[in-house]
Amino acid sequence: MLEYIVPALQHLFTLENFLWINIGVFIGSVFAAIPGLSVILCVILFLPFTYRMTAIPGMMFLLGIYCAGGYGGSVSAILINTPGTPHAAATMMDGHPLSRNGRTKAALKIALYASAFGGVFSALMLLFLGPQVAQIAAQLGTAEYFMVCLFGLTIIAGVSGKSMIKGIIAACIGLLISCIGADPMTSYDRFTFGVPRLYLGLDLAICLIGLFALVEVLAKAEKKPGQLILDSKKMNDNGEITKDEFKRMIRPTILSSIIGVLVGIIPGTGASEASWFSYDRAKAMSKHKEEFGHGSVEGIAAAESANNAVTGATLIPLLTMGIPGDGTVAIMLSALMINGLNPGLSLFTTQGDIMYAIMIGLVFVNLFMLLQGTFLTRLFAKVVSIPQEILTPIIVLFCFAGAYSVNKNYFDVGVALIFAVIAWLLRKLDMPPVPILLGMVLGNMTETNFRRALLISNGSPKIFVSSIYCIIFVILTVLAVATLIRSKMKEAKGETKR
Amino acid sequence: MEGKQSWMERLDRKRDEIGEKLVQKEINLPTELITGILFLLLGILTLVIMPGQVKVSDTDVVNGRAFPTLLMVVMMICSGIVLVKELYQVFVKKQPLTTKKVNLLVEVKALEILAILVLTYIICAITDLFVIGAVFCSLGFLVYFRCRKVSYYAITLTVAVLIWVAFRFGLGVNF
Repeated sequence: MLEYIVPALQHLFTLENFLWINIGVFIGSVFAAIPGLSVILCVILFLPFTYRMTAIPGMMFLLGIYCAGGYGGSVSAILINTPGTPHAAATMMDGHPLSRNGRTKAALKIALYASAFGGVFSALMLLFLGPQVAQIAAQLGTAEYFMVCLFGLTIIAGVSGKSMIKGIIAACIGLLISCIGADPMTSYDRFTFGVPRLYLGLDLAICLIGLFALVEVLAKAEKKPGQLILDSKKMNDNGEITKDEFKRMIRPTILSSIIGVLVGIIPGTGASEASWFSYDRAKAMSKHKEEFGHGSVEGIAAAESANNAVTGATLIPLLTMGIPGDGTVAIMLSALMINGLNPGLSLFTTQGDIMYAIMIGLVFVNLFMLLQGTFLTRLFAKVVSIPQEILTPIIVLFCFAGAYSVNKNYFDVGVALIFAVIAWLLRKLDMPPVPILLGMVLGNMTETNFRRALLISNGSPKIFVSSIYCIIFVILTVLAVATLIRSKMKEAKGETKR
Repeated sequence: MEGKQSWMERLDRKRDEIGEKLVQKEINLPTELITGILFLLLGILTLVIMPGQVKVSDTDVVNGRAFPTLLMVVMMICSGIVLVKELYQVFVKKQPLTTKKVNLLVEVKALEILAILVLTYIICAITDLFVIGAVFCSLGFLVYFRCRKVSYYAITLTVAVLIWVAFRFGLGVNF
């Protein structure tokens, strides 16, 4: 590890990298602060900008967006009681009441400090755990890899929507889409319907523009006109956090950071699950339970540290096995692979200097987020009221330009539009889009390992329970399914009672 | 501007008339039933077209059809579960179908947005000049949102041109 640190620092400490980190952090904070614009959408829109960059500045830019998005969502949650991103919903529970009590700046500061702590903690975990997990991942064979993919897909199918069955159907659709194009093992074309352009398959970025970005534009039809107005007088408190409040923040912040890392490392889960789980834990362990929901500093600290602690942890399965921890980092996979960085142990050995530069860079991303948050929060807060009339066409143009720039043709823009319509129709049926994304990302890896494993075993499925790692993942998958079914049944019972 | 305003007002009036008629109209979409049938049919269709769409060699132990076939079987089982659950609820438990209210006005508005997107795409593809489509798209959305502020038009059109400049000259995307 140490032999990579010095060259990594040399790669990282350039003006270009620090510039891209700050641009990414700024864009991420602004985007996440606007209700309705998610971090995943922001990463999709700005992905084309990284195509001409080298690996380190490209990843620093995207990680800047990703991490700052974790904090940015809390700005609108605290100010106008509308979470900028889904995972800021837990922050809203106490952030907005504290703001209503005349302590808006204090609430924003608590969110910022907790986010920065969670982010740095998570980045350090990535730095120390990443290479270790890569060592273990290197011992996995094709059958084990298939089981890991299956585990990730099961989790994402279970947690993404109200119905686990619909999640599995969505994952199957994503996996089926990944089958379009040349067969990864024989190169025969599949499901191309005689369209030559489909031989190379559908580009992930193009499909995502339709599935996540353009569909949000169509969703404007559901929104009532009128904009969110920020009352600037709200931010006139001195933002002071007392010593006692700082003391009370420490325990939930540390505990939630650990929870965030543990949740983030599980493929398919993300910041929303981590922030709600941590919020509940903090409430259960607090001596001031009565303050929760009425402006508890512990509540804000727990939710914010957890959702930012996910950021580095989601990169662990991505960098070590190519299995994204959540939807947003799934998109970053293409930014990595475009620069010839293929996940796995080799990434930490043959390209260790680049890898360590990215991992250390993540610490700096969080530090710059703290810096920008300290000085620019008032500016981030103002973007909350950017009118939809201006914002919507800008998003569309970024989507079209982004889709076109992947292969420099309008066929891809058409594909993005088709995916937007499909996503709109699926939304009507309450089908979650994230399992489709994960299915598309993991499709090739899942199929290749499935077929290779069967080839090795001469077609015998026993190979999928032949090793200790396989058995562990089978048990984990069964446990996950059982837990998810139990929690869904509890939810359903709760709804019926209501 | 006056002529434009009166044209826009006429358009808005027309949209209001249609909107008033549609705002109360709601369809109850039987989501579970549609999901079950739709994906069951999709699974069957994929399996039917698979021999024509996926070429295989006789010597392959595990060929290119194995994985998509497995997926479709899983999808059909899941669709079947959704369908059986729903039918059990209706016929055995005598409960109503699981439905979701769909407002026709929302769907018409979504179609308006889709029309702007498709027209932008067609303009870009025909002219091979992204900037023309970008200007159309900006104007289209401003009209859709019934915007009357000249400053919004100026800002949006400037940003639209700037996006084209950034991609064309900054990223070297020739469009």
